[in-house]
Amino acid sequence: MRVTPVRIMTTSLLLLGVLAVVCLLSLTTGPAKLRSGAVLAELFGSPGALDAMERTILMRVRLPRVLLGALVGGTLAVGGVVFQALLRNPLAEPFVLGVMGGSAFGAILGILGGWAFFPGVTGVAFAGGILTIALVIGIAGGRTGIHANTLLLSGVIVNAFFSAAIMFLLSVTRNQEIHNVLRWLMGDLSLSTFRELAILAPLVLIGFTLIFASSRSLNLIVMGEETAMHLGVQVERVKKGLLLLVSLVVSAAVALSGIIGFVGLIIPHVLRILVGSDHRLLLPASLLFGAGFLVFCDTVARVATTQTELPVGVITALAGGPFFMYLLRRKRR
Amino acid sequence: MKYPGASAAGTVLLILAVALLTSLVTAGATRALTLTDEAGREVRVPDRSERLVSLAPSITEILFAIGAGPRVVGVTQYSNYPLEAARLPKVGSYVNLSLEKILALRPDLVIGIRDGNPKAVIDRLAELGVPCYIVDPTSLDGVVTTVRNIGRAVGREQAAYQIAGQMASRIRDVERRVAGLARPRVFYQIGVEPIVSAGQGTFPNILIDTAGGKNVAADMAAYPQLNVEQVLVARPEIIIVTSMTREYDFERVRGFWGRWPGLPAVAAARIYVVDSDLMDRPSPRIVEGLETLARLIHPQKFK
Amino acid sequence: MHLIEARDLSFRYESEWVVRNVTFTLKPGEFLGLLGPNGSGKSSLLKVVNGILRPQQGQISFENRELSSWSRRRLAQRLAMVAQEVQLDFPFTVLELVLMGRYPHLGALEFESDRDLAIARECMERLEIHDLENRLVTRLSGGERQRALVARALCQRPRCLLMDEPTAFLDLRHQLDLFTLTRELTVRHGVGALVISHDINLAAQFCDRLLVMDRGRLAVQGTPEEVIRPEYLESIYGCRLQVDRSPFSGKPRVTPVPKEEVKEYP
Repeated sequence: MRVTPVRIMTTSLLLLGVLAVVCLLSLTTGPAKLRSGAVLAELFGSPGALDAMERTILMRVRLPRVLLGALVGGTLAVGGVVFQALLRNPLAEPFVLGVMGGSAFGAILGILGGWAFFPGVTGVAFAGGILTIALVIGIAGGRTGIHANTLLLSGVIVNAFFSAAIMFLLSVTRNQEIHNVLRWLMGDLSLSTFRELAILAPLVLIGFTLIFASSRSLNLIVMGEETAMHLGVQVERVKKGLLLLVSLVVSAAVALSGIIGFVGLIIPHVLRILVGSDHRLLLPASLLFGAGFLVFCDTVARVATTQTELPVGVITALAGGPFFMYLLRRKRR
Repeated sequence: MKYPGASAAGTVLLILAVALLTSLVTAGATRALTLTDEAGREVRVPDRSERLVSLAPSITEILFAIGAGPRVVGVTQYSNYPLEAARLPKVGSYVNLSLEKILALRPDLVIGIRDGNPKAVIDRLAELGVPCYIVDPTSLDGVVTTVRNIGRAVGREQAAYQIAGQMASRIRDVERRVAGLARPRVFYQIGVEPIVSAGQGTFPNILIDTAGGKNVAADMAAYPQLNVEQVLVARPEIIIVTSMTREYDFERVRGFWGRWPGLPAVAAARIYVVDSDLMDRPSPRIVEGLETLARLIHPQKFK
Repeated sequence: MHLIEARDLSFRYESEWVVRNVTFTLKPGEFLGLLGPNGSGKSSLLKVVNGILRPQQGQISFENRELSSWSRRRLAQRLAMVAQEVQLDFPFTVLELVLMGRYPHLGALEFESDRDLAIARECMERLEIHDLENRLVTRLSGGERQRALVARALCQRPRCLLMDEPTAFLDLRHQLDLFTLTRELTVRHGVGALVISHDINLAAQFCDRLLVMDRGRLAVQGTPEEVIRPEYLESIYGCRLQVDRSPFSGKPRVTPVPKEEVKEYP
């Protein structure tokens, strides 16, 4: 089915509804049982059903966590869509160009350096991600422009280098810090605050608007760079711009949440099966679906075991894999 | 006619009445004291905390030992002693705390440990208005102080000071008995595959030293990984295996070292197993651990 | 006005010159055939003409303006290209593919209008793929794919059409159809076409003029009658050629002659 503004609207509204339900589910789930009626009342006007501790948990622990999960999930999904299109590689995801290695290395330096959690570790992680992507683009860029395969290869090498560096750091660290580091490497949304959200949200919204404006160009670029040029796209400029933009936004998200894998890889494929490859629909759909997916996984991570919380990265992998396989089989038939 | 003492008595009565009235009026309000915890933070602890959350197994043990057990509403994953503690709701492990689980228990005082608890969680708790008292015991005397400090923070000074005093005297007793003796080389084994020992800054290291032994890993990092060769070169006279090597039963470990009859510890058959909880928890039971070690290292002094 | 004016064009990859001093023009309504053996630089020349490759020497203009001064978008509104090997591995439908030909004409946030849809469908009909509208491009045969690409190019409503071996996967009927269609476009709508073909005879039958390349140079250009002669083509193609007239069209016809007769075993 062709993509029209109407179709974009209806799909987006549908997915927005799903996202809202997932968020509500997440807000009412946890060690402290909160009724959805009370939660809705608290959020939308007539507070009073919850006592002070419940309100604190809802407004200052769960709500920022859900919002961060939505933002990060959406960012990673959109990042995956763009990277897969620009690199013309279905295995691409936002971390493939070194953002993972760079920001992880930065974050670990920050954690080991003992800096306060915000903006210390976050800032270094963000810087690490950005610098790495600049490095990778610098290595891969040549006279004839940026070639996808060269870019991928540079990213792989840079990631491998940083992985080694990280392992080295881990091997000489004291016991306690290792837990902080591991938690960051596996994704952790639990300590989010509104302050962090206030910085990430506008970045994501502006970034996404710019990315969405390039949807048609992306449609053409996936057909082939020469084809895209024939049909009017300034391919090199669009590629560079989008790569930097996505890396910026993904670095910011990762700096706050740690490394959460699988979302950027799987969600684009899932959405392509569900709504097709036209980026004008694929991008907004991925944003909303990715947001809901991560919030859902985070909810599961919180309540899966009674003893402790699981890292959200574990859940995204466990959930993403089988769901994707199910969709693949359905598509084959 | 006025009696001379009457006005004085009247004044005293008046003061007492006012004091009584004041205390009755303010009884409803929560009184709090401001303490400085062992991490240098200023904490307003409630005068009488009713809902305590402990963020480390050692802290749990201390709280129960000083009689604050009934007021504890949440503990961390490996708080297995005493038995009542093991049945309490869990808030995660001490290095992986769940902010929400802690809050859901509505604590009025949280007691944490600086080495282990993620600072970010403590900061968030404090930000959300939950008082957190952090302890930081780094030596045997530090543990004793910690017991006293926790006692003060939860309003059980008397019991705490008593226990602390007992701990101190038992420690001094051990020190006295092993003073001046030659120090046998001790290898303290935490891990089997790979071999892991306890080095600088760890409590087992401190205990071995206080018990009159020489930890062969004393100069190494906190939990160094060793290969067999390093152990053989160190020629330990005593090998202490901890029960932390859960999956490996002690006989197998003993058999493993038996393959090197050249080791003094093997030749003298001085390979022992100890309860690891007694060795690395900065709680009252650490003194038991100390005494156990001392008995193993210098048996002749502890008949 | 010339659609394309190329003067002394030269292009090299690394150290090897693949286009040398090529000069030619393409006028509106002209159907030019670009011939030559493999490796003679035909594809590279076409890429220089549509701005993908920048020549190190020479000038090239489109509609009397320096080619490099055109923005890609403006150029795409007037110049369409059908490339030789196109990988179609993303799951778009044929309709979506052909509609992409309208992109150069859409504003930044504009969506395809009904008129765009009508144009796309018309192009698909011309290429006889209208019943494949909702088929995924990954499920097309080679011939269907090629026709879809031509349909997309037509959808751009170009003034100038460049095609690189558009008949490679087409069967006879569709080969004829495509060249006939191109001829129609040039004659009836004034479109200028520059088409690379391996099939000399097909080109001779339909093209106004032929350009024959040999190792980067434009060895000979002119009408089919002027160009298709053994004295020119035999050295270029490296084989003996028999040239006569097609009894049907009257245009020159080439038949390659084998070096020696294949004898049976004695």
